[in-house]
Amino acid sequence: MTGPQRTEYAVAVVGAGVVGLYTAYHLAQAGVGPVLVLDRGFLSSGASGRNGGGVRQQWETRATVRLARESVAAYRRFGRDFGYNIWFRQGGYVFLAENEVALGRLRIVHQTVRSEGLGSRILDEAGVTRLVPGLAAGAAVGGTYLRTDGTLYPFPAIWGLYEAVRARGVEVALGVEAVGVEQEAGRVVGLVTRSGSVRVPKVVNAAGGWSGDLSRSVGLEVPNRATRHEILATEPIKPFLDPMVVRPSDGLYFSQTMRGEIVGGLTVPHEPGTAQGMGSSAAFLPRMAAALTRLIPRLGGLGVLRAWSGFYDDTPDGFPVIGEDPRLTGFYHANGFGGHGFMLAPASSRRVAQSVMGEKTDLDPGLFGVGRFFTPGEAPRAERLQLG
Amino acid sequence: MVADHGWPSRRLDLLAGFDLIFRHGIDTLHGFRRPAFATPFYQRVIRRLAGYGAPPSATASVGLTGPPTLLDVDTVIVGAGRSGRAVAGALVAAGLHPLVVERRLQPPPIPGADLLTATTATFLPPRVPTGDPPFEILGSVEPGRGLRIRARRVVVATGSYDGGLLFESSDRPGVVTADGALAMRDGRGQPPFRRAVVFGSGDRAKAALEQLGDHVVAVASPTEVPPDLVAEANRHGALLYPRSLILGVGGRRRVRSVTLRSRGDGTTTEVDADALVLAHRRLPNSQLFFQAGARVAWRAGTGAYYPIVGDDGTTSVPGLWAVGSAAGATTSGSIGSGERTGASLTGGSVPLAPIERIRSEGPNDMEGYYRDLLRESRTGRWIVCPCEDVLLGEVEHASRSGYRGMEVIKRYTGVGTGLCQGRYCVPDTLLLLALLEQRTPTEVGYLTQRPPVHPTPLAALAALNVSEPISEGP
Ligand SMILES: Cc1cc2nc3c(=O)[nH]c(=O)nc-3n(C[C@H](O)[C@H](O)[C@H](O)COP(=O)(O)OP(=O)(O)OC[C@H]3O[C@@H](n4cnc5c(N)ncnc54)[C@H](O)[C@@H]3O)c2cc1C
Repeated sequence: MTGPQRTEYAVAVVGAGVVGLYTAYHLAQAGVGPVLVLDRGFLSSGASGRNGGGVRQQWETRATVRLARESVAAYRRFGRDFGYNIWFRQGGYVFLAENEVALGRLRIVHQTVRSEGLGSRILDEAGVTRLVPGLAAGAAVGGTYLRTDGTLYPFPAIWGLYEAVRARGVEVALGVEAVGVEQEAGRVVGLVTRSGSVRVPKVVNAAGGWSGDLSRSVGLEVPNRATRHEILATEPIKPFLDPMVVRPSDGLYFSQTMRGEIVGGLTVPHEPGTAQGMGSSAAFLPRMAAALTRLIPRLGGLGVLRAWSGFYDDTPDGFPVIGEDPRLTGFYHANGFGGHGFMLAPASSRRVAQSVMGEKTDLDPGLFGVGRFFTPGEAPRAERLQLG
Repeated sequence: MVADHGWPSRRLDLLAGFDLIFRHGIDTLHGFRRPAFATPFYQRVIRRLAGYGAPPSATASVGLTGPPTLLDVDTVIVGAGRSGRAVAGALVAAGLHPLVVERRLQPPPIPGADLLTATTATFLPPRVPTGDPPFEILGSVEPGRGLRIRARRVVVATGSYDGGLLFESSDRPGVVTADGALAMRDGRGQPPFRRAVVFGSGDRAKAALEQLGDHVVAVASPTEVPPDLVAEANRHGALLYPRSLILGVGGRRRVRSVTLRSRGDGTTTEVDADALVLAHRRLPNSQLFFQAGARVAWRAGTGAYYPIVGDDGTTSVPGLWAVGSAAGATTSGSIGSGERTGASLTGGSVPLAPIERIRSEGPNDMEGYYRDLLRESRTGRWIVCPCEDVLLGEVEHASRSGYRGMEVIKRYTGVGTGLCQGRYCVPDTLLLLALLEQRTPTEVGYLTQRPPVHPTPLAALAALNVSEPISEGP
């Protein structure tokens, strides 16, 4: 828990989750000068150490499909690039439709994904049942499937990134909380932490569920809001399920890990905000268990081993926020990833780094820029395949 | 599910061969990455080996669904051991009708109380801060029916268990805790050994010696041996090895010897033995306190966290009481602790004798024990976490690579993520990390105690989804 070692940096990244570390990695690769990553918690204490490890490319919006596709390629290379095996297993993602209306919505996704050159398939009930053994009769009328989607182990990804950035001279200060930025004439000139201030012209907000708090604490109004999501793991059983299974209507998702555990969650409404902490609730376990056993009744005898929770960093339209804040020069957003920051991190972070270095990115600012939330006349768009 | 640990079968277990090939553990963090085109193949092979038993069949959960048990009570006592019974007795004497839930199959009845047996209370979440709704306990009634208890007051009397110990080949058959040895003796009338070494110096070692004495050849103690234990050992003709480290056990298929090192003069002794009975420390079953958000304190002597309790058993959470050895009372002090809480719950006057707590210094200095042990040179397999097969070398490697703190080491090595959820291995890992990181155990931190305490079947939990049906979507 030592404070920053230098008094001056080129860039400071707040948050040592997958987004902050990947961003620091790209910055260090480009040789921007001294980079500081700080995190008030321990490594992997945020959502990056609490998620389901799902990586999918099925989205309703082409720009997101592209970010996801690029990220899949990065995760395939991860073992070579970072020395850690993240066990990225491309067992596919099945989206379930419980009725024709839901299937109609998935068809739109299917067409978008196809138009990006990915081999998504529409499944009928029999097709779904083949991929999800034991599915209760009538539980789904069909769905979509993309074989190259998959799951990974989040922890080794964090370890690999942590070691890679440190090996490239990035300083990672753990147990250090950012409490504000110093500004002069509308530009960032420093970062204030609980262990002192440093001079730095560029600050990246990669604080996950707490990013809204950080932005607001420096006077920038943003609509990001943290929502708690719970998740559970069962005892390991012999692998029988290849794909990640998602039901968009209630956000039920689950997959079977390399070790044989079923890991999954379900969206249960919680009070927004981070005040409730990251515990588990009495509401989640029964609901999740009921949803799972109704879908696959033969899992009833399986014991739940543990449950935990983490925060999504949600935006109203379901798109992340990437790039410099037009209201404060030198303040960059890398947040708002909702339940999908892991699968989008490699590609998104590259663009964050590009914008920090003053390069133009290929992202549509109307979709990803923070300006979209207060530019009048922007046609409201939203990614509707947000859950799961 | 069946815990069928061998492959292809429990009897012909070729996987055991892996242990010989991968003496330093299988490095799943760095290994199996190259060549890249082979990764799907590695993944298929490893998935073959993963998990227990067979994939669930269509009949796997037949008979598991049934109506849940939903109870609404004033006071529930979790655990029908000494202290729980004492609390129940006091409540009954005051004309109340408490509910007692107990995990063991056939506890003796408690006249006047409702005793719900074969029940596992696995989750006691903090109360919602708004208003004053009751506690909500989730769990299951065998064979997997859901249990939900709403209660205004909860008394946790979940008792304690024998802690594990780190030494070479601790997974060898013949290494047992005192709990295990006594259960095996009760099950078949005889313990499954004839020449055991008992390790410990306190009440528990004495109890083990009293009950298993004819099958014990030696008592090894981490500290000096107190006079009452010396007397007991002499009565059974057991040799005494005071101030000793257990370095390891020998024998190919089961324990044939126990190797001790004197912490005094450094001499090494190999004792001819067919079992090693661990009776060196009792650890509290404290998960429910953690879940409920009660404040806890570290006690260096036993090397464990205990809830902070007042003399009448009150915790930092209003309405939550902690009694008996789960709250750190000694075995003999447990009944008194239950009586005091009973008196407090019924508004009677609280007897004044202070709670007899497990000694916090002296005989049980586990931190000092491990400091000495880590100075020893090591060979062979030193398993930190038996559920997940994590070796000491892997923990040391993680620590050397800059990963610090219990939470991070758990995520890096998998320590404490297996079926026992860290009950067995985390207390020792904490002491090891304190030494490796050169800071105090409290600075190393602890694991969040995640629900459920014991694996709870999905069917049981699903049956509790009664009040709010899940949305089936638009
Ligand atoms: C239950 C659950 C399941 C999920 N499943 C998936 C999934 O299957 N696939 C997927 O892609 N995504 C999933 N996600 C989402 C994904 O985990 C996140 O989007 C992603 O990890 C975000 O990474 P991050 O680096 O932005 O944030 P985090 O990993 O949360 O990191 C932010 C860090 O910032 C630190 N911080 C915050 N404020 C400050 C401050 N003021 N000063 C210093 N440090 C600070 C925090 O301590 C934290 O470590 C899931 C999330 C949850 C909760």
